[in-house]
Amino acid sequence: MFEGPVQRLIDELARLPGIGQKSAQRLAFHLLLVEEADARRLAAAIGDMRDQISLCERCFNVAAADECSICLDGRRDQSMVCVVERPQDIIVVERTQEYRGRYHVLGGALSPINGIGPGQLRFEELKSRLEPEGIAELIVATNPTIEGDATAMYMAREFKPLGVRVSRLASGLPVGGDLDYADELTIGRALIGRTEL
Amino acid sequence: MRVDWLSLSQFRSYQSLEWAPDPGVNVLVGRNATGKTNVLEAIGYLAGLKSFRSVPDSELIADDAGAAVIRAAVSGEDRERLIEIQLNRSGPRQVQVDKNRLRRSTEMLGVLRVVAFLSDDLDLVKRGPSYRRDLLDEIAVQFWPAAHLDQAEFERSLRQRNAFLKSGDRDQTTLSVWDSRLAQAGGRVLARRAKATGLLAPLLAVAYGEISSDGLEAALGYRATWGDGTLGNRTAGDYADDLAQALEASRQADLDRRLTTVGPHRDEPGFRLNHSEARTHASQGEQRSIALAVKIASHRAIGDLYGESPILLLDDVFSELDAGRSEALAASLPEDTQTIITSARPEDVPLTGLQWTVGDGISR
Ligand SMILES: [Zn+2]
Repeated sequence: MFEGPVQRLIDELARLPGIGQKSAQRLAFHLLLVEEADARRLAAAIGDMRDQISLCERCFNVAAADECSICLDGRRDQSMVCVVERPQDIIVVERTQEYRGRYHVLGGALSPINGIGPGQLRFEELKSRLEPEGIAELIVATNPTIEGDATAMYMAREFKPLGVRVSRLASGLPVGGDLDYADELTIGRALIGRTEL
Repeated sequence: MRVDWLSLSQFRSYQSLEWAPDPGVNVLVGRNATGKTNVLEAIGYLAGLKSFRSVPDSELIADDAGAAVIRAAVSGEDRERLIEIQLNRSGPRQVQVDKNRLRRSTEMLGVLRVVAFLSDDLDLVKRGPSYRRDLLDEIAVQFWPAAHLDQAEFERSLRQRNAFLKSGDRDQTTLSVWDSRLAQAGGRVLARRAKATGLLAPLLAVAYGEISSDGLEAALGYRATWGDGTLGNRTAGDYADDLAQALEASRQADLDRRLTTVGPHRDEPGFRLNHSEARTHASQGEQRSIALAVKIASHRAIGDLYGESPILLLDDVFSELDAGRSEALAASLPEDTQTIITSARPEDVPLTGLQWTVGDGISR
């Protein structure tokens, strides 16, 4: 145990994904030894992000206003929605320049092991978007994991009876990999070659 | 295939050890079992990235050490490779082949192949069906490295379906999704088991005939918990269809018991001797002969497939065999194969080879 404030920061850092006790200690002592202005800038950046950024009321992407810049972009095809697990997956699809529709962030994938069922994902929010936005097609771009696949399968069963086309990004993505790691070319091709579920 | 050179550091009992084994037969002799077996265990780890003693990596690291390192120069498929593995007490292990860091353990498959004869191989015959399911699945991975992914996918899907059943959630759509996922992965696992059984069964019958002179016929059977109870030899898609039907039929029972009651994870592969179950009906000696025959058959099947004989590891096997079985086993082992044998009493080993004394190090 270290002096109260130091230990408190170590504990907070250690709660971040991918950071263990050792890394948390290293980061904390680094922040103690750098220029005070640098440390304060980091603290301010975290505060600003939490103050100024919230989730888009429509698609749950990160947004600086009530809606995100994609939802506010009038040139986007409203009839098409790409469904992803997390906000950062949107950036990966955007980088391909192949997609001109809107998005919907589920907030994860089905995983009973982690207590995640349909009620924990934003399916109802998506259903309520179908009619007002005239959505005709859902492209499911959940991660190519067992859980991501199960989520895509679930969506096909839940949404096809509602009269929307449901397709899945064609394989070619690394099995078990995060969407993060797939290169843009692969995803670009997967977008074009998507398969109907 | 062979190990040309092996170096251990902070691995089990060894602070450091260097050894250049002979390409032929090596007999490791030492007072107690542990040190000798540790050497086999390290070679086994190089091939399978896990201990054949089924212990976590942390147990392989010497007391008071933060990490253990296994390094080896191996030859196979007409090339030499340097394998380096560091097991860390905290944090994941690192595996390098020719200084390139492996990102997935599946990339290691085929770099080094070994077949290990262990003193508890009798469990394969005597104990529950899980031992024989694992045997078939491990052989499938040796034959078709991608089987590893199918098995991992099946295990994960099964855990998810069981977690759903335990959660008390009764949403039929969600359950049907996990049924489909499980059936698809299970179909592929079953297709591999069927092929592995088909390859292994005839070799097993032959090897049993060599080990034992009792004239009995050894066979490898498979009792399924789904479909008509037989495995046969069909496609992964066919098996998946059968499984999907079986899962649907057992849905209510599974919901009640909060557990997946049918599928590859409950199937019962079994050895038979003249059509009766070896597990319950064979004598201890007959069971031992079957266990040896399985290993001989595995070694031959893998050698045939890759055109290159896997390294043979025999951990204190001869001491438990009577003279007849010892001689028969020695006679059925291939000659052109690197073989590493541990024994407390070298006079028990009916093979001629280089003899090494194992203590704090290895020496002639
Ligand atoms: Zn939005």
